[in-house]
Amino acid sequence: MNVMIMGAAGGLGRAMAVECARRGYHLFLTDLDEQALLCIKAGLERRFRTTVVAKACDLTDGGSVDAMLCFLDRNGLKFDMLLNIAGTDFEGSFLSREREKIVQIIALNDAATLRITHAILHRRRQGRRFVTLFVSSLASMFPMPLKATYAAPKRFLLDFATALRQELKGQNANVLVLCPGGMVTNDASAAAIAAQGIWGTLTTNPLEVVARKALDHALHGKRCYIPGVLNRMLSVLGKILPPPWVAAAVYWRWHRAQRKWLNVPNAHAR
Amino acid sequence: MQTVIVTGATSGIGLETARLLAQHGMRIIGVGRTEAHCAQAKQSILSSVPDAPIHFYAADLMQRREVLRLGALLAHDLEGNSDGRLFALINNAGCARSWYRTTEDGYEQQFALNHLAGFLLTYTLLPFLLHAGGRVIMTGSQSHKGAKVYWQDVMLSRNYHPLRAYKQSKLCNLLFAQALNDRYAAHGIRAYVVDPGLVNTDIGTKEQGIVRFAWRFRKPFGVPPAIPAQTFDFLCRAQEHPPGLYYALCREKPYSSAVGKEQAERLFILSEQLCGITYGEVRA
Repeated sequence: MNVMIMGAAGGLGRAMAVECARRGYHLFLTDLDEQALLCIKAGLERRFRTTVVAKACDLTDGGSVDAMLCFLDRNGLKFDMLLNIAGTDFEGSFLSREREKIVQIIALNDAATLRITHAILHRRRQGRRFVTLFVSSLASMFPMPLKATYAAPKRFLLDFATALRQELKGQNANVLVLCPGGMVTNDASAAAIAAQGIWGTLTTNPLEVVARKALDHALHGKRCYIPGVLNRMLSVLGKILPPPWVAAAVYWRWHRAQRKWLNVPNAHAR
Repeated sequence: MQTVIVTGATSGIGLETARLLAQHGMRIIGVGRTEAHCAQAKQSILSSVPDAPIHFYAADLMQRREVLRLGALLAHDLEGNSDGRLFALINNAGCARSWYRTTEDGYEQQFALNHLAGFLLTYTLLPFLLHAGGRVIMTGSQSHKGAKVYWQDVMLSRNYHPLRAYKQSKLCNLLFAQALNDRYAAHGIRAYVVDPGLVNTDIGTKEQGIVRFAWRFRKPFGVPPAIPAQTFDFLCRAQEHPPGLYYALCREKPYSSAVGKEQAERLFILSEQLCGITYGEVRA
């Protein structure tokens, strides 16, 4: 199976790359960080003896993406699976965020994801089942004060993935949207989760388990995967309770948590 | 003057070992994760041993490329200042992780730091150890007893539990020491593992979850790091290579029956593959 992973050099993307390599898939990895990309490529090749191709790419830059697509076409690379993992977040209230950083969130989490998905859907291997995965968030289930510029683009991905799945139903393809709660991917995310206290711990899921089960769900034709029983219950509550109530509860919780860790640079829970 | 390299030398057992060895006239090369921690540790040692010949290098040993970078720096240092001889390498740097987390290479962090970093650093410094007939000492743990190596999933990506990962990594320390002795004892190198016992260090306090919870209750019962430092000092300064493999409180101790030649060789070959190296190519 040929798999393309966007944002493969860190966190969930790296865990997905490990899981795919363990399954013997052939990998095409991209990330902004070329040095880190070469590290994970070499690590996977040493450990699993699988085929790994890596190419650095700034997904928010049309020229960079075009260059990568040219590389794919030149080498005749086609895919059976696309994992859209790349994403970013900046914590804080809407007004406290820099304008350009808000735009960056949309540019990477939504615009770049659509750009790549469109391109790779045209580069599917003929006659084979195709699977694509979008990483949304548990945050997409609620109005999220103090994380609004993160949660709203994630809601976009949730709805887009659901709609795209329907469009592709007759084309031997599946679209899975992953909506994880917290995951410990680095020191900053560990600090952010710790700052949320017991709720942070309870809504956090092991990275390696999320990666494995998300792939299983995608391959089994599922639509949406929310890791963790508590997270699934919270997502139901988000649908039942009036949005202003949810917004008030979320604000109360995040206000307290963010005060504790906002001095940690680039802290985010995914 | 004999040179000793100590990793994880900026706090806890490593710092006290470096201090004690410096007091006994050794030239110390310490390794820490950040420049700031290194400067602080150097100052601490110099305050108790003024004019001690000590130098620190900063490196994040969890990352393979950092170990290789450090190895090149240390090689240059040893060639210039120690006649190409390394009297002892103390692979002490270690960590405990509540959650499955990976290095840049996608390797589980406890396995990467507690075992592979020492394995790779020893490889990069092997010519200097061979030249001096040196000693390689790992910081182990009693917790290796009852542990096993999960050969089908050595990074525990299917079945991660922090304590299982920690225990396995400490068993790996013994297996690595055994394999080094099997291969290089005839060439004058000896490897050891020190069981420091329960020590009052910061290893679990930086983590969250089960590791932090467990460490909060265990830490107050720990001995000061200066106690296990005496065992490292004993192993470094003994005139002849001490004969055993596993030491605690300056005495040889029994270790797990899981430590044997076959297992040790299997881990050695796997570790070579994971690090992308071949020990057999190294010559003094």
